[in-house]
Amino acid sequence: MKQETMIDYKKDKKRIDGRKMDESRPLKIEVGVIPNANGSAYLEWGQNKVYAAVYGPREALPKHSADPLKTVIKVEYRMTSFSVPQRKRPGPNRRDQEISKVLGEALTKAVFVEQFPNTEIGVYVEVIDSNAGSRVACLTAASCALADAGIPMRDLVSAIGVGKAFGELVVDLDKAEEDAPDAVDIPIGILPNSEEIVLLQLDGLLTDKEWEIVSKLGINACKKVYEVQKEALKRKFDLSEAMEKKDSKNVSKENISKENIDKKNVEKKEVKSVKKKVKK
Amino acid sequence: MRSTILESDIQKVVSLARDGKRLDNRQLDEMREIKIETGMSENAEGSTIVTLGNTKVIAGLKIEIGTPYPDNQDEGSISIGAENLPLAHPDYESGRPDDDEVEVARVVDRAIRESKAIDFKSLCIIKGEKVWVGYLDFYALNGDGNMFDAGSIAALVTFNNAKMPKLDAENRIIMHEYDGKLKLSRKPLLTTFVKVGGKILLDPTYLEEKAAEARFSVGTTEDGFISAMQKGVGGSFNKEEVSYMIDLAFKNSDKIRKQILKI
Amino acid sequence: MKQVVVPGELLSEERKKLGPNVYVLNGKIYAKVLGITNTESEIAEVVALKGMYIPKRDDTIVGIVNRVVFAGYGVDVNSFADSFIPKKAMRTDLKLGDVIIAKVEDVNELKEADLSFPRKMGDGEVIKITAVRSPRLIGKNGSMLDVLTNGTNCEIFIGKNGRVWARDGNINLLKKAVHFIDENSYKSNLTNAVEELLKEKK
Repeated sequence: MKQETMIDYKKDKKRIDGRKMDESRPLKIEVGVIPNANGSAYLEWGQNKVYAAVYGPREALPKHSADPLKTVIKVEYRMTSFSVPQRKRPGPNRRDQEISKVLGEALTKAVFVEQFPNTEIGVYVEVIDSNAGSRVACLTAASCALADAGIPMRDLVSAIGVGKAFGELVVDLDKAEEDAPDAVDIPIGILPNSEEIVLLQLDGLLTDKEWEIVSKLGINACKKVYEVQKEALKRKFDLSEAMEKKDSKNVSKENISKENIDKKNVEKKEVKSVKKKVKK
Repeated sequence: MRSTILESDIQKVVSLARDGKRLDNRQLDEMREIKIETGMSENAEGSTIVTLGNTKVIAGLKIEIGTPYPDNQDEGSISIGAENLPLAHPDYESGRPDDDEVEVARVVDRAIRESKAIDFKSLCIIKGEKVWVGYLDFYALNGDGNMFDAGSIAALVTFNNAKMPKLDAENRIIMHEYDGKLKLSRKPLLTTFVKVGGKILLDPTYLEEKAAEARFSVGTTEDGFISAMQKGVGGSFNKEEVSYMIDLAFKNSDKIRKQILKI
Repeated sequence: MKQVVVPGELLSEERKKLGPNVYVLNGKIYAKVLGITNTESEIAEVVALKGMYIPKRDDTIVGIVNRVVFAGYGVDVNSFADSFIPKKAMRTDLKLGDVIIAKVEDVNELKEADLSFPRKMGDGEVIKITAVRSPRLIGKNGSMLDVLTNGTNCEIFIGKNGRVWARDGNINLLKKAVHFIDENSYKSNLTNAVEELLKEKK
């Protein structure tokens, strides 16, 4: 924290936490983490940690909220009381309400909403730890949860925060950068294949020339996010792993356990290497 | 109100229980498997995810500076909240905490508070002016019954691992710096039962809770004290049943303590 | 080649016959859901890997009576709306929890199913599977269903709505096999693997 004045973004060409200007924090996604939900995802993005769950399509409640022409996507963005440095009071505040609204609108464009008239799709996102960028983390997780629920979609939604801090245009601002005197924060979410923008907000002062540059940075960064999303959704279904007769016993056990896939792969490799050793 | 539970499934649970059986093939006095992870929230002074079968709960603690109550000038305090997030079950709804959420939070709170595990006097910074207040909130991440015990385990592990914030010379919190750990002199845990089809079941699932005639939770400590009791739902227990549950609670919580606290 | 695709992934830049779960934008064909596609197939289609049951005409389904009112029965069909069977359509009375099989006669604009030929099933068990994977329980020309029936000696009825009704035979073994198929639905050589599983556990 005390270092921030010591790093000169223009001169040093690197950021407080050592990242390059267009480098985002490490991103990890796992889908299918909430058994009760039709679709779900857990996402870690730097210090941000969020869960997303999708229920539906289901009967729209209250009944008057139903639309006879399409499904209504209801997003609830919430933060746990302990996910921020200063305890957050339980219950939604105005910020939660606004974020829920814009996230719902962003996802509506991605979903074939007219396929399920009179229903709702409940999308619940919960932040359990945060450090700037929780809304784009939630949008990214929510679109994975929708796909995991088997909802028909035009595309996933990939999102990231871009903006300006300490005189430089940067990708994926952290809290220290959001607190910079010249900070500009721009959450941006796109449909990665068409590059249509479905979420766009801005806090701060920016020139139109800077916007030209930073929007490109944002779209490029979203496309990297998209690769992580795709990989997370596909990881569960490894087609190369055909059912071999001899292995059927082992495979069945592994697939029934709902262990983290990453761990499983590591374990499997370990098991294999152990087997080799035994043979020797 | 949504209910995704079929009446026929409830009937099945009742008739199985009458024969001493459960849908998940557990013994009537068998707890589901418990898994613990800690420290997922860096912004919290302590955080824990507890998995109890298919029930998953996250608890987090924020320790802040508050002013003491007028009648306890030299004591800090704790406050516990619970939320059944709509993320965790299709029947859960958002909005103000409902009766169930308030009850589970208060029972988890009582089991810890009344055990005197936390010495509130040790949470005094300046008498009459500044004291520590610990806010622990737990949330369902996947709901499959027995939020009481899952919440209680999550709360105990979180308090047990909690870091105390560091103060500067003017007694203000220095963000992200810590000064020792919170002291817990006892390790109280809740154990919860339901009565279904006339039988007593330990650690009910969501469906078993829906089928329950009555529910009972008891907070027990490792040194033989009962720190809280709560009977819930419309039905009743006789005295022998209560004695049986208390006895089983002591034995069961000893096992859990060994696993989660390694003591 | 078989390939897992996510919603929005490009399937073909050329014109192709359109199968289920795809959409066309500016002359290109894209996937609509998370699923499996065969790149060599002349039909552009995606077999969904996840998702709830959406009633389709002529589907046979396993329903559970969830509501009894004066005029008839509310039936849970594992979709987003209950179906209704009038009392006069049934020869026998139904009670809460009764299992029925029925055909989807029609689906209205709200995707609610009208059921026809409802038949009450006797004592048996209902086993669940991810709805979009239930065709795997039948297999090509009923091959998987044969394996399941021979391996467990159960009387089995498979609904398109992610529910299997069964009685007699080794129900617990059948449950294991159905769960196994659910978890491995996307893998090749599944029928053989299920055969092995049933032999081992027998």
